[in-house]
Amino acid sequence: MNTKVKDIMNTKLETIKPDATVFDAIEKLVDKRIRSILVLPKDEKDVYGVITVRDIVFKVISKNLDPQKIKVEEIASKPIISIDKETELKHLIKLMEKFNIARVFVHDAREIIGVVSLLDVLSATLVERARRY
Amino acid sequence: MFEKIISGGKLEKKVIKDIKTHLRILCSALECFRNFISNEDKEEISCVIDLEREADSIRREIISTIHQGAFLPYIRPNICRFIEMVDEAFDTLEDAAFEFRYIKNELYKTIKDECEQIAKINSAMCEILSIAFDTLIEKKGDLKEKNLAIRIYEKKVDDLKFEITEKLRNLEITNFWDGKILSDFVEYITKISDLIEDASDYLYIIEISLK
Repeated sequence: MNTKVKDIMNTKLETIKPDATVFDAIEKLVDKRIRSILVLPKDEKDVYGVITVRDIVFKVISKNLDPQKIKVEEIASKPIISIDKETELKHLIKLMEKFNIARVFVHDAREIIGVVSLLDVLSATLVERARRY
Repeated sequence: MFEKIISGGKLEKKVIKDIKTHLRILCSALECFRNFISNEDKEEISCVIDLEREADSIRREIISTIHQGAFLPYIRPNICRFIEMVDEAFDTLEDAAFEFRYIKNELYKTIKDECEQIAKINSAMCEILSIAFDTLIEKKGDLKEKNLAIRIYEKKVDDLKFEITEKLRNLEITNFWDGKILSDFVEYITKISDLIEDASDYLYIIEISLK
C-alpha cells in the first residue's frame, strides 16, 4: 500500500474566523453537509484550530448556551492534529488509531491544504485492492 | 467447467480478445479526454473521435462473432448488454467532447477543478473495469471487490456533480445556448461513470449466471 495522503485528501476545506459565532459555524456545517470546520489562526503567532459538530453539541447545546453569543475560538480545539501530505496511508491509519480520530488535516510546510477522513482511507484501500488481481 | 463455458472455443477466444481491446480503447479515449479538458486544447478532441470510430468497428465485430455462435445462448444477452454499456460510455464521452468545443472558457473556469477530477475518476474506473473483465475470464481475484471499487468511484462523481450543480446555480447565464452547452457537458461527463458502473454490474451478473 504505497498510496500517499495527498492522493486521497479532500482539498475542499471549509474555514471560519475565530471571532465568528458558533451559530455561523452551525450554518456552514448544515449548508455544506460537513462535520468539522478549520478555524483560521488569529494572527501569525496563532495556530489553526478545528470546530466539530461534537464540540457544538457537547460544549454549547447540552449546556443550554446561546450559539449566537459564543465565539468559535471559545470552543475550538487547538492545536489540530495534522500530517504531512507525503505521508503513506499506513502511517495515517496508525495516527488515527493512536488518537482515536476520524479526520486528520493535511499540511504542506505550515499551511493546511486538505483533510482526510476514515471513509477516505477505507475507499482508497478498497480501490487499491481492486487494482490488484 | 467455468473456463470451458467462458473461453473454450476459437470464437469465444476471439470475442474475449476483442472485448479486452474494446476496453483498452475506452481507457485510452478517457485518458485523452482528461488531457484535453485539462489543457483546454479544443483541437485535441480528434483523438476521442478517432478512438470512438475504432471502438465502433470492434463492437460490430464482437456482436457478429457472438451471433456466429460464440458462447452458450443463455450467456449471450448479458455479454451483449455489457458491450452495449461500454459502447454507450463511448458515445457519451464523444458527446462530452463535442460539447466541450463550444463551452465558453470563462464559464468553464468555474467548474474546471471538479471536471478534471471527474475525468480522472472516469479514467480510473475504466482501468478497474478492464481488470474486472480479466478477473471474470481468468478467475483470478474477486470480482465483487472490483465492483465495489467502481461503486466507490461512482459515489465520488455523484458528490462532485452536486458541487458543480451548486456552483452553476449561482452562475449568471446571459445566453441560452451557453447555459445549455455547459449543462449538457456536465450531464455527459457525469453519466460516463454511471455507464461504467452498469457495465461492471453486468460482469457480476454474468459471473453469477455461470455459477
